[in-house]
Amino acid sequence: MTGRGDRAVNYVILASFSLIALYPVAGIVLAAFQPPGSAAGGFSLPSELHLANFAEAWTQGHFASYLRSSLIVAVSVVFVSTLVSIMSGYAFGTMTFAGNKVLFYLFLLGLMVPLEGLVIPLYFDLRALSLTDTYWALILPQIGLSVAFGTFWMRAFFLATPRSLIEAAAIDGARRWSILWRVLVPFARPAVLTMMVLIFMWTWNEFLLALVMVSSESLRTAPLGLAFFQGQHVSDVTLLAAGAVIVALPVVVVYIFLQRHFIRGMISGSVVG
Amino acid sequence: MATVRFEGAGKRFGGVDALVDLHLDIEDGELAVLVGPSGSGKTTALRLLAGLESITSGHVWIGDKQVDALPPRDRDIAMVFQDYALYPQMTVYKNLAFGLRMRKVAPGDIDGQVLTAAKTLGLEDLLERRPRELSGGQRQRVALGRALVRQPQVFLMDEPLSNLDAKLRTQTRVEIARIQREFGITTVYVTHDQIEAMTLGRRVAVMRDGRLQQFDSPKGLYDRPANLFVASFIGSPAMNITEGSLEHAGDGLAIAFGDHRLAVGRPESRPDDGIGAYAGRKVLLGIRPEAMADASLALGTPEDRRMTVRVELREDVGSDVYAYFEGGPPVSNPGLAESPTGDDDEAGGNRRRTFVARLSPQSKAREGDAIQIAINDRALFFFDPDTGVRIG
Ligand SMILES: Nc1ncnc2c1ncn2[C@@H]1O[C@H](COP(=O)(O)OP(=O)(O)OP(=O)(O)O)[C@@H](O)[C@H]1O
Ligand SMILES: [Mg+2]
Repeated sequence: MTGRGDRAVNYVILASFSLIALYPVAGIVLAAFQPPGSAAGGFSLPSELHLANFAEAWTQGHFASYLRSSLIVAVSVVFVSTLVSIMSGYAFGTMTFAGNKVLFYLFLLGLMVPLEGLVIPLYFDLRALSLTDTYWALILPQIGLSVAFGTFWMRAFFLATPRSLIEAAAIDGARRWSILWRVLVPFARPAVLTMMVLIFMWTWNEFLLALVMVSSESLRTAPLGLAFFQGQHVSDVTLLAAGAVIVALPVVVVYIFLQRHFIRGMISGSVVG
Repeated sequence: MATVRFEGAGKRFGGVDALVDLHLDIEDGELAVLVGPSGSGKTTALRLLAGLESITSGHVWIGDKQVDALPPRDRDIAMVFQDYALYPQMTVYKNLAFGLRMRKVAPGDIDGQVLTAAKTLGLEDLLERRPRELSGGQRQRVALGRALVRQPQVFLMDEPLSNLDAKLRTQTRVEIARIQREFGITTVYVTHDQIEAMTLGRRVAVMRDGRLQQFDSPKGLYDRPANLFVASFIGSPAMNITEGSLEHAGDGLAIAFGDHRLAVGRPESRPDDGIGAYAGRKVLLGIRPEAMADASLALGTPEDRRMTVRVELREDVGSDVYAYFEGGPPVSNPGLAESPTGDDDEAGGNRRRTFVARLSPQSKAREGDAIQIAINDRALFFFDPDTGVRIG
């Protein structure tokens, strides 16, 4: 086979998978731009771009409030879990201490048990602490879940980091704290950013926890708000589509914004020798 | 500046003895080389000295301080790693300055020290680059600079040249020797390359299986190897080794091996020998390729110091002629270094059987010719066949 032929086959395969993945997304985006009220099922290009659906959804659906709640929750979760994950990943990835194996498996457990299995007992626990129907009820459990993943992720990265880098810094006089923040974290930036995007995305899209923990409308997060919004406007497809786009947009923006960074980082910093 | 002393230092990894009872005294300002085949414990010794590995037994001293329990940062050492281990996200300048900043050197002094080190190594124009924007040779120099800038008590280098191409390796070797002499910093240098060891080291420690074999000047190792291992490890091409028997011949001794027989000389002409006691016994015989000459060019060599051989292969490399011929029977002694150059695995088997002589380029010896090889009595080495210890 010639390289050219191989390439063509690769492209065909990739293109068809992209189509499968993009079809429903594109359908929703296109629907959002249809004239308001049109029952545009399926896949038709709007005759002109109608932005009215977005304005309508924004005001009717209280999305400003939902996005604000989501932002508060997601940013706190991302910030705290990133900090904690970097430190615990560093410990598990570069140090040996009593019980490190057992402790690590304990962390993994947090990764393996699905939230569905935890959410009800969690509700009672938090209620005992009078934390239900507050942001804490959304933030604290998600920090816990994200740190399980983040520890696993950062540990893998630090394990793969050349040991000589750590040793060189130790000989240069750096203590553990400086080794982590001055040498390893700058080196790990692509991995850290990727982790932050993933945690942001998962936190942003979390539905079940918000549904169980929060009853005040002012605390509703975007996906939960969207669900209520859909309940009220079952038949208005274009409005629902606009709402969905509004909720999904921040994740896409964050991804696009950070993607440039982590791709550049991945190319540059990974090889020492 | 400081002396370095290993005092019965040992390291066990699980069940593996990586280093056993190492005694080594390195003088102030000396460049000492640890050399040995892969897995001989060189890196382990260096890491014990650096504090990157905890010591299992014995002690390590830097100057008059016993450093066994000190963390690396308190040992006042600098290390050049095989993969350089430059901080990838920092510029060259910051790489050099990092150690000074960590040691709380006044910011005003950092600049001067970094620039001095950069100048010594010709890095002035690279200071704003990052490691990934440098060639291999430049990275290597930054690694040296990072070690140099702190003016430590001891330099540690673990195969610092192994990632460079041959030409750069020679250049950098000279550079390292120059800097080491200029600053007079005690240096421990690890390599598995005997040429590097012999050219660089004031003294060279030959290691094997975690045990020190000999610590001596390059000339001392070459002229007076302590045992079969050192003898066969040092020198290129490697020493020819065969088995023979020592016999009385007149009032002296002779060694018979294969079809050959050479006079060894009177015991009193070899005063440092113990070979008298081996008369009538089997011994291992070693002859360096460069100790043999084409007898037609070395007139006056007595008859009993010559052997007649048939040249099987002639390699002419311009400056020398290598002649291969049937010497004595092959030896497979556990004390023998395995093909030290490491690049002739296949020829290795043959090489054991065949002797090689490095002859003058004037030699007319052709393949198939029967020629006479002249051998100096002092060039014969004898080893105990059981212990491998040199007996003469
Ligand atoms: N961290 C470790 N855990 C277990 N065994 C080890 C460890 N480090 C070294 N060893 C073992 O100790 C012995 C000596 O290793 P060392 O790295 O000192 O050899 P070396 O002389 O530096 O070899 P090379 O030339 O290949 O670098 C080897 O048998 C090696 O397998
Ligand atoms: Mg090594």
